Amino acid sequence: MATLIKMPEVAAGATEIILSKWQVAVGASVKVGDIIAEMETEKAVVDYASDAEGTVYKILVADGASVEVGSPIMILLGAGEDGSAGDALLGGAAAAPVAAPVVETVNPPVAPPVAPPVAAPIAPAAAAPAAPASAGSDNSRQFVSPIVRKLARERGIELTQVSGTGPQGRVVRRDLESFLASGAAATPTATASASSSSALAKQEYSSSYVTVPHTGMRRAIARRLTESKSTVPHFYVTADCKVDALLELRKSINESSPIKISVNDIVVKAVASALMDVPESNVVWNAEAMHKYESADIAVAVTTDGGLLTPVIRGVEKRSLSNLSMEIAELAGRARAGKLRQEELEGGSFAVSNLGMFGTKKFTAILNPPQSGILAVGAAAPRAIVEDGEIVIANIMTVTLSADHRAVDGALAAQWLAAFVKRIENPLSMLV
Amino acid sequence: MTEKIQLSPKEPWIELRTTAEDWRNADPHLLETMLGQMHLIRAFEETVLQLAGEGLVHGPAHSSIGQEGGAVGSIVGLRPTDAVNGSHRGHHQFLAKAIGYVTPNGLDVTNLVNAPIQEVLQRTLAEILGLAQGYCRGRGGSMHLQWKEAGALGTNAIVGGGVPLAAGNAWAQQHSATSDMTVTYFGDGAVNIGSVLETMNLTAAWDTPLVFFIENNLYAVSTHVSEVTAEERLSGRGTGFGIPSWRVDGMDPLAVHLAMQEIAAHTRAGKGPAVIEAEVYRFFHQNGPFPGSAFGYRPKDEEEQWRGRDPLTRVANEMMALGLIDQQQVDGVRAQAQAAMELAVNQLLEADPAGKPGARKIRAELWPSTDFVNVGVRGDASELKGARTAEFATHPGAKEEVRFVDAVAAVMDRRMETDSRIVVLGEDVHRLKGGTNGATKGLIEKYPSRVLGTPISENAFAGLGGGMALDGRFRPVIEFMYPDFMWVAADQVFNQIGKARHMFGGDASVPVVIRTKVAMGSGYGSQHLMDPAGIFATSPGWRIVAASNPFDYIGLMNAALALEDPVLVIEHVDLYQSKGEIAVGDYDYQIEFGKAAIKRAGKDLTVLTYLSMVSHSLEAVEQTGIDAEVIDLRWLDRASIDWTTIEASIKKTNAVMIVEQGAQGTSYGSWLADEIQRRFFDYLDQPVQRVHGGEASPSISKVLERAAIARTEEVVAGLKNAAAGFGKN
Repeated sequence: MATLIKMPEVAAGATEIILSKWQVAVGASVKVGDIIAEMETEKAVVDYASDAEGTVYKILVADGASVEVGSPIMILLGAGEDGSAGDALLGGAAAAPVAAPVVETVNPPVAPPVAPPVAAPIAPAAAAPAAPASAGSDNSRQFVSPIVRKLARERGIELTQVSGTGPQGRVVRRDLESFLASGAAATPTATASASSSSALAKQEYSSSYVTVPHTGMRRAIARRLTESKSTVPHFYVTADCKVDALLELRKSINESSPIKISVNDIVVKAVASALMDVPESNVVWNAEAMHKYESADIAVAVTTDGGLLTPVIRGVEKRSLSNLSMEIAELAGRARAGKLRQEELEGGSFAVSNLGMFGTKKFTAILNPPQSGILAVGAAAPRAIVEDGEIVIANIMTVTLSADHRAVDGALAAQWLAAFVKRIENPLSMLV
Repeated sequence: MTEKIQLSPKEPWIELRTTAEDWRNADPHLLETMLGQMHLIRAFEETVLQLAGEGLVHGPAHSSIGQEGGAVGSIVGLRPTDAVNGSHRGHHQFLAKAIGYVTPNGLDVTNLVNAPIQEVLQRTLAEILGLAQGYCRGRGGSMHLQWKEAGALGTNAIVGGGVPLAAGNAWAQQHSATSDMTVTYFGDGAVNIGSVLETMNLTAAWDTPLVFFIENNLYAVSTHVSEVTAEERLSGRGTGFGIPSWRVDGMDPLAVHLAMQEIAAHTRAGKGPAVIEAEVYRFFHQNGPFPGSAFGYRPKDEEEQWRGRDPLTRVANEMMALGLIDQQQVDGVRAQAQAAMELAVNQLLEADPAGKPGARKIRAELWPSTDFVNVGVRGDASELKGARTAEFATHPGAKEEVRFVDAVAAVMDRRMETDSRIVVLGEDVHRLKGGTNGATKGLIEKYPSRVLGTPISENAFAGLGGGMALDGRFRPVIEFMYPDFMWVAADQVFNQIGKARHMFGGDASVPVVIRTKVAMGSGYGSQHLMDPAGIFATSPGWRIVAASNPFDYIGLMNAALALEDPVLVIEHVDLYQSKGEIAVGDYDYQIEFGKAAIKRAGKDLTVLTYLSMVSHSLEAVEQTGIDAEVIDLRWLDRASIDWTTIEASIKKTNAVMIVEQGAQGTSYGSWLADEIQRRFFDYLDQPVQRVHGGEASPSISKVLERAAIARTEEVVAGLKNAAAGFGKN
């Protein structure tokens, strides 16, 4: 039987995926599980395996094309079939309402403000591409005129914030202009659009800055962090850690081991140990229920040329320091090369963000949904402290935990932080 | 008791038969040439049928085998500057004219094929196969064979469709101080179609040197002539129109030749057209390599009997009887013709290694390039380069106020004065002091031979104009009194004039102007009140201009008359009596090709309109106070429309409304709306809005007519609707 292959929803909530490169050509024979194409989501490159078999009859999109989720991308013919079977499929597909929603803001990618009818699977192990989104479930479609859609796309404006006053509630150009003129767009994503309101009105730009078009990753960061900071109730708990023992341990390990351990590796390990010590904190908020994890899956922030990526290291509590160090190095390397797979970016209950290498003393981080904790790690440096009534000099590292108050209360966060401090100040405890 | 007086036709009707004496008196070289031509045609047609049987001829192959005698007998005596055209079954006439053209001194049966003949055979076969080296670059194929240089005007796939065009060619010959003539060939099936009968009447009225050559092969596909007409002697049609008529045995080429000599003496002397009916027989079915009897509509013994009258055998036998040739030489003629065809085939075909043994295929490199598909639908308008253009606002001269219709007549007067090629034709254009509206006022007095009042035969006179344009010596201006009459002339307007340039290869100019007037509001009812812009805009080949004021009319008509393409010039009865300013004494500028006019600048809505709706739109904009940009398109067809101005306006306003007066179904705006949404979708803030008339054609009842069309009030409603699309902010 001929099969119409459609663009899968490679990343949860994605509406457009770039088909970066086909791995099969017309006429090729494809089995279930064969890699047929390389897809690029906002954050990762994914090898897409076929879940059907047959002979490639037509390839419907070119390498590098940006394709709406659900759009046909390829036709496979079954044994003995001719092209007419495939063409018939295409005729039907063109008419079927499989295309992604016209208004891209209807289904926010992660943690929609309105709870979906079924809890999204968030188990980290569920790395397989999710089922196609139930795009049809939301019938409160927002109508937007083509020119408004174009302007919003160019200027990074979230149209859900704009109410339409045209026929059938259509958002028309004047609605957008009015919205921009009102200053209502002063949300983080609107830093560009605030300036663009004058641009929109006058069709000219100030000479004091240059415009840099947004990349998909930059948009994703903007969207996800705006959503996190505006929808997740953050609170912050800070502690100073004395890390002389840690530095000493690291020095002695690195003297004998071929694998060089970083302070950050030990911090990640300590985070995992603390999560094991205080298992109530290893949780993630979901609309219906709390998800409680047994394993410590920790995201590590990696700076790349394109922006911030947060690959997740699974089962950190079971890993040795050297294994953890290699894993982090390997993921960071692939993150910088743009070679992470989508599933390596998903899940986790906790994240570590370390700006110590820049000398930052302390900072607070924004949670990376759906994780309920992120530890912001500053630089370890000698400071004067009071110990047993004496002023002494010790290497101190200040850490700040950002927690999701829906999942973690203040006392629990404090308990976790105390456990972390204990582990980090007694690093040998993590080696046994 | 009533008195009965026997009447007889004005002109004679004669059946001409040859005698032994005629054959003895015939020039032996004439007979030799006819024998050679018929053998070349026969071998050619056999080759075409063979290739058709091999599946190598795309489309029908209408064989002329059996009918060679009529074509060769009638064409062998023509001059190179005489012209022929024909029907779907036209290979034989085309070849006879082309071979005669390249061998003005006749043929030598002992050395039949020279290089020019070989080239004619190969290029004709290439055209039939649809190959680039064909006379029409492969576009025409079997049914549209044209080689104008040789006087082969082009064969035609619409039954009778070529006849009015031939009349136009003959008119041009007559009015160019020649005694040349045109022969138009058609079959028994075509004698009952309007184009033919209208043209007989028109050419007889005007003494046009056109020969109507009826190849009566008894069958229109499978329908016998006796089933569809009472007077089976089809030459009888002629005398009813006052045309002298001849009937001959078309299987006797000498009889045909002698009849044509009598006809030439009549027609070349300026005495007008002639009809000749040649009884012929196609040995095969309508098309393809099977006899008609295989399809059951005629008996085998009838076919046997006609095969016994084969014109090739007849001429050979007569020549042998006169001792002019022997059987061996006759066989040699056939062998030479077949060898020439084999050589032509080998230039075009090669063995098909993927096919069955012996299979052949067309050499791949000979096909036309597929990017040639739309080339030459029209010319490139380069003929307008260097012309002086003007706009009212920047014209330096003094201005005067005139009535629109006077500007129409005045610019035509000026052009006819400076360009003797311009001829005006149409119903009543020569009377009523300037036709029914005064648009040709004063022309008949100054140019009596170039203002032609036609019979009420739109197909004939539109085609006559088309034929004049294709000839090129004249530039006809055809008036349709009402636009709806284009349906009466639809074959000539759309199938012939509009498609001719492209169909025959893309090079031929077709400089013809059709003038017509939109008459909505005049009470002429359902069959007179359309706006033709939409139909012409969606038909290939035509350019369209429409002026909203006299100054633009002058410049647009000058451009239309300078273009080498067919141009429809649309006028409006409402505008005729309106007044506007023109530049005093200047009737020589053009409106820049493809340039719209912004009549009112605005920022909220682009209004695209033309003709009388320009002023209605401006009125409506003032009434509503909406800041609309009103654009007078002026050039309406898809190849001339001003996308630059439209694009700039839509990108500014993000909203567009197309305003026209006429009925919805045939409306102009439908194609334009489609094109706009394709080009500018991302710039639109609302659907492309439309103002047009109703579904029904406007009725005669005054209130129903008003309700059926759009004027200022409908534009006001349209503007308000568009404004609702702006939202409430």
